[in-house]
Amino acid sequence: MKFKYIWFFIALLCTAVSFGQIKIKGTVKDKAKVPIPGVNVIVKGTSTSAATDFDGNYVINVPNKNSQIEFSFVGFTSQVVSVGDKTEINIVLQESSQALDEIVVVGYAAVKKSDVTSSISSIKGKELQTMTVGNVTESLQGKVSGVQVTGQGGPGAQPRVLIRGISTVNLSTDPLYVVDGIPMGTSINFLSNNEIESMEVLKDASASAIYGSRASNGVILITTKKGKVGKTRFNFDLSSGMQIMNNPYNMADAEGYATIMNKAYNNSGYSDYLPNPSQYKGKTTDWWRAGIKTGTPVTNASFGVSGGSDKHTYAISLNYYNSESMYGIGGWERVTMRIANDFKFSDKFSAGITLNPRYETWGAPGNWADFDKIDPITPIYKPADQLTGLENEYSIYARSPSYIWNPVAAVNRYDDYTDQYNLNTNGYLQYEPIKGLVIRTQASVEVGDKIWSKFTPDFVIDAAHEKAEINTIERRATNNVDWTWQNTVTYNKTFAGKHNASLMIGNTMEEYNGNDVWGYGEGVPNNSDSMRELNAATKNRNSGGNSWSSSIMSYLSRFSYNYDGKYYFTGTFRRDGSSKFMANNKWANFPSASVSWRILNEGFMEPTKDVLSDLRFRAGWGKVGNQNLPSAVYQSNIGQGFYIIDGQVVDTSYPSSMANKDIKWETVEDVSFGIDFGLWKNKLSGSLEYYQKKTHDMLFLKQFPTYSGFPGFSTMWTNVGSMQSSGIDLLISYKDKKGDFSYGVDLTFTTVNVEMLSLSSEGEKLYGASNRTLTVKGEEPGYFYGYVADGLFQNQTELNSHTDEHGTKLQPYAQLGDIRFKDVNGDGKLDDKDRTKIGSPWADYNVGLNLNFGYKNFDLVANFYSSIGNDIINQNISDLYNGASLTNKVNGLDQMAWHGEGTSNYIPRLSKDDNNENYTKFSSLYVEDGSFVRMKNLQLGYSFYNKFGLDKLRISLSGQNLWTWTNYSGVDPEVAGGDPNTGDRVKGSGFGGWNYPVQPTILMGLNVAF
Amino acid sequence: MKKNVFLFFLTLFAIFFTGCQNNESGFPSSDNPTVVVSTKEIYGAPSRKFEIKAALADDLGLKSVEIQIPELSLDKVISFATDPLLKSYDLSYFFEVPANRGTSEAFKIKLIITDVSGNVVNEEANLRLDGEFAAPSITMVTPKEGAVILLSTSNQMPVNFVVNDDSGIDYVQVKCEALGIDETVQLTGSPQSYTFNKTYTLPVTAADYVLTITAKDKFAIPNTGTLSVNIVATNEYPALYLCDQPKGTNLTTDAVGVPMYFHEKSGQDFEFKYYADKDNKEIYFLGQESDFAPHCFGLNTSGELVDDVASTAIILPTKGYYSIKVNPNTLKYTATKYTPSSKVWADIANGLWHDDEALRRPFVSVCGGGIQGADWDTWTAWVQTGLHLANNPNNPYQLVGEYTLTGQMEATFTGQWWSPSWRLIKNGICTMSPGENGNAKYPAAAGVYKVVLDTELERVFITKK
Repeated sequence: MKFKYIWFFIALLCTAVSFGQIKIKGTVKDKAKVPIPGVNVIVKGTSTSAATDFDGNYVINVPNKNSQIEFSFVGFTSQVVSVGDKTEINIVLQESSQALDEIVVVGYAAVKKSDVTSSISSIKGKELQTMTVGNVTESLQGKVSGVQVTGQGGPGAQPRVLIRGISTVNLSTDPLYVVDGIPMGTSINFLSNNEIESMEVLKDASASAIYGSRASNGVILITTKKGKVGKTRFNFDLSSGMQIMNNPYNMADAEGYATIMNKAYNNSGYSDYLPNPSQYKGKTTDWWRAGIKTGTPVTNASFGVSGGSDKHTYAISLNYYNSESMYGIGGWERVTMRIANDFKFSDKFSAGITLNPRYETWGAPGNWADFDKIDPITPIYKPADQLTGLENEYSIYARSPSYIWNPVAAVNRYDDYTDQYNLNTNGYLQYEPIKGLVIRTQASVEVGDKIWSKFTPDFVIDAAHEKAEINTIERRATNNVDWTWQNTVTYNKTFAGKHNASLMIGNTMEEYNGNDVWGYGEGVPNNSDSMRELNAATKNRNSGGNSWSSSIMSYLSRFSYNYDGKYYFTGTFRRDGSSKFMANNKWANFPSASVSWRILNEGFMEPTKDVLSDLRFRAGWGKVGNQNLPSAVYQSNIGQGFYIIDGQVVDTSYPSSMANKDIKWETVEDVSFGIDFGLWKNKLSGSLEYYQKKTHDMLFLKQFPTYSGFPGFSTMWTNVGSMQSSGIDLLISYKDKKGDFSYGVDLTFTTVNVEMLSLSSEGEKLYGASNRTLTVKGEEPGYFYGYVADGLFQNQTELNSHTDEHGTKLQPYAQLGDIRFKDVNGDGKLDDKDRTKIGSPWADYNVGLNLNFGYKNFDLVANFYSSIGNDIINQNISDLYNGASLTNKVNGLDQMAWHGEGTSNYIPRLSKDDNNENYTKFSSLYVEDGSFVRMKNLQLGYSFYNKFGLDKLRISLSGQNLWTWTNYSGVDPEVAGGDPNTGDRVKGSGFGGWNYPVQPTILMGLNVAF
Repeated sequence: MKKNVFLFFLTLFAIFFTGCQNNESGFPSSDNPTVVVSTKEIYGAPSRKFEIKAALADDLGLKSVEIQIPELSLDKVISFATDPLLKSYDLSYFFEVPANRGTSEAFKIKLIITDVSGNVVNEEANLRLDGEFAAPSITMVTPKEGAVILLSTSNQMPVNFVVNDDSGIDYVQVKCEALGIDETVQLTGSPQSYTFNKTYTLPVTAADYVLTITAKDKFAIPNTGTLSVNIVATNEYPALYLCDQPKGTNLTTDAVGVPMYFHEKSGQDFEFKYYADKDNKEIYFLGQESDFAPHCFGLNTSGELVDDVASTAIILPTKGYYSIKVNPNTLKYTATKYTPSSKVWADIANGLWHDDEALRRPFVSVCGGGIQGADWDTWTAWVQTGLHLANNPNNPYQLVGEYTLTGQMEATFTGQWWSPSWRLIKNGICTMSPGENGNAKYPAAAGVYKVVLDTELERVFITKK
């Protein structure tokens, strides 16, 4: 009986409590009116909470009208709403890119942004997708501090990406790209920017040491889009437009060319080269118009489906990119598909698999310079009276006396294309036996097949100088099978409410296998398309093939700890074993440690919280490596050479390279210090970091000394020398909203100072770019090294006084209007010793400015990027101004070049002989200020929400690279590294020439979501 | 108030800065520098360098010397290092007088010497352009360069030369160390011309000698001329030459080929191949290349071969190719006419291309140096059609043309892409590729020359037109 009463009172009490509560319901959606499942709905000050369901709906009871409900979800700004008289509250959450609880991928794990102790910059895929680019790193330019991206023009070109400067002279400077946890090498051309969910740039060694021997150039982690719980969503993105190619130079017409060349001849004492220039009036061959398209189309399209349930989420996308070349033939086309499925079998088991088939094809001529350089008098085709009717279609073109091969003919002959097919399969299985303990295994297999085909037709345009008497066919098929397997165990635990610790241990195995087979033949019966097969070759058939393999096995661990959200420590350790090194150095250790103090969470900072939203100090240290050297450097190799002995061609062998059993990684040791801050609820936020990294045991390919008995061209890799990079990264962001108007400003600022600390021997001089750059101890690598052009000789007195102390002329062949080269060392001779530092390819600083504005449904994005303080060698100066060659020159050069006192102090007099070596001596004549500011992107968009039966429809108009402000007179101020095949990747930086420019592009965009 | 503080500091810094600027030399005061020019009268001449010599000194340190001749556009400043300070300096500065200046002109040379204390001293010298700088000219009558003295005939070496100089000759010296000759003739009265004539006796053993002749003039700044003559004293002729020029012809005006070097030699049996371009062609054999004397082989009145400068020419009766054998010791010779069998390079020089290789017509041009319009690029050889050789209509084995030589020349006669090509090596030999390596350089006076490439003889004849 007693119990009956008790139960009665309990029921009564509950009823009373229930009667006092208010039931609130509603829906939570994003800006695009798409429901958000899983949003935390909490009654502030109570433990009452709920979550939105699959359709974004929620129901929650609040105690009274004064209650406040907080809605929060990862990646969105939390909202607090007072209940009042409302019983239904519908919420639209705004996305936030700066939220501290945002998840950041850090390598083999993901952590909250607030827990990050090292230098990591994160950027959302959405920001990268504002530009239409083939390579997503081009869109990264200026958006991340500490990252210098130098754009490269042309379909399929890969920009140069430097993360905190350079740490190597001879090896690759490209960062390691890791896609969904799988290392994918140093190129990312295969990935569409539409596939990317987010990108993290690991800038310092404390962040990247977990990737050990390949992390010295930094690591870029890319997370691709995955399905989310919710209804099936479709989205279609299309961006299409024209790339514009205007002639960067105003070249002379036929009459002007004749006038210029005659002046060059006359100035050298010769009679007119082309007498009576007026006879050529109106007879100019417009080569540019004949062969270069002013506008070429570019298209980036993507169609995606995503959605899922609690048990299964999926995301499928089909992506297409096409950029045609300016020649009207060739270009770059890419079709990729990504099929991602994630399964949750139970609370403990989950798994996922992503398939990524890809197809790429590329190839385009590269002779656009010839359209400017060829003389404007030569016609495109041979005159009818020079044709016999027996020529093939490639032999009807005219030959230019300028030594430039007929560019129209060259483009017509072009047949050099590559097709690449890849399939990447990436799967994982995850088990969480107890709360906080996650056991994960992930494997990936990449299978690729690349086919390169080239056909060169036979032709005779000129019997002596422009011909291929026999046609040739060549094809190379390259296969690769790479696999990766990585296993990790992670345990997260909070002790006593304030001690938060996480330990991860794991191991990885990677193997990269490749082989190729190659065939060559000559004498295909004719040049028709159907005959362009190796089997049709009738002469000199040849073949070859090779295979290669490399592997890495690693053990890794990370320990993270923080006390009460104030004091953070992260330590990582990786031990790499690489097949590229021999027993003595097969294994190497790469440790790192970083600490962070979130001072804002200290009690004494409480009064500042009205203003400060975040304040944190960071410091990190780590060691990383660079092993980007050829796979088989541990082998001693025999080379093949052919020599003529007694009139017979003899096949000979020689030791071409020797193994160095002590070879090991280049090691980069890095320290960095940073401060992160946020003000006024993170309206203003940013970070400032200083770093210094030293490279030890740099890898150099050295020749043997003569006394060793090896041929002079035998080489051996060896670890010698060291260098240092240091600098500052700064990011400042400001964002705010006033009514319907929202805006944001991001400013990135990057400085890099590089210095060689030691080389293989004291006083060693490393020359690069055909002795035009020098790398020595105590200086930045690859600075421009040449003579100082000290103006032009304006009058006879200046010419006469340019002597040594005894009256011997320093430049005996100089005439008025020639360059006065400076006797830098004052020894009274002008020789090699007068070469000095005449410029630097390295920028003093880079600045990025990213603006975005929104007003109602309009949005506007503008991105600017600048490089300040670097110099560029304008190699085109000789082509454009030098009268010694018969190539075409810039219009009006006869008046631009020196032709009397005071007429010019820059362009030397026109001369057929150039006896003063105005152009053949590498001097500061070629050095120009390479600073520039470029408007990378300007995009205006308008979005319709829930119109036309669609969730979202956005149309946009954008212009890329529309404006560039620079004093550089060459083709494009974005000039990257030199030819890696000649060891000039770093030592040949900053040489501009007829490089394919980064083209201005006008685009229309369409984004549809339903 | 703030403004006043700002102005105060601005003024203060301005004073500091100005003070620093005024203290520009940083050296204590010192005496004036001194200058002693080696001569106040300097002789020069158009297109010729003269020397300005002076001794400069300063008790503290020299800063600079400026040399000015405004009329000749000379304003040269020589600055001296100041760490350590330079107390004395021997100025020796050469300057070339422009070619367009007259020999009667004269100028002032101004020297401005500054020391580190800022003291300035000026000095002047006169420059006259009527100087005589030509070395005495020495003209050899005998022996000429490369002369061969056949010891079996005579061991006497007559030395005969003429010296001329406008300002008068001071002395003449003849030296030959190997022969112990060292003879100086001091002349009185500074004659403008002097003839030396003396005969020396040679040892009977074969040897090569160098005779050095020196002559000095009497100008204020004396000029010295030197000539060295190589002489071969031998019991055998090292070479014989075939000369088809009339006696008395200057044999040094050609660039290549006259007289013609032998083709084969065995002991003293020499063999020539020769093309007589007309009937009754007259030839001689010479023991030396540059002169008819001392060994000229011709016919005596009996029609026998003799080594006599007064001999008459050997006559080849009809036009055509001859194989000629001669022995200068036995004084026997034969001349046999023959029909060449080497490849005839007919129909060349039109440069027509044809897709069908068999129908292509090559050209023969020239690559080389010292030939106007030519360089070592076969493209140039092709496009410079003035260099193309033509077939000699009278002899299919000869390609003929006309070149302007600009000085020392070298050549390879070539078709398209060096095929065919004939490289001109020493002694006028021009073998078809592949032949001997190394293009020979031939001195030549600038001018227009007639060129004959004889593909049968494999010889080139480049003679002044």
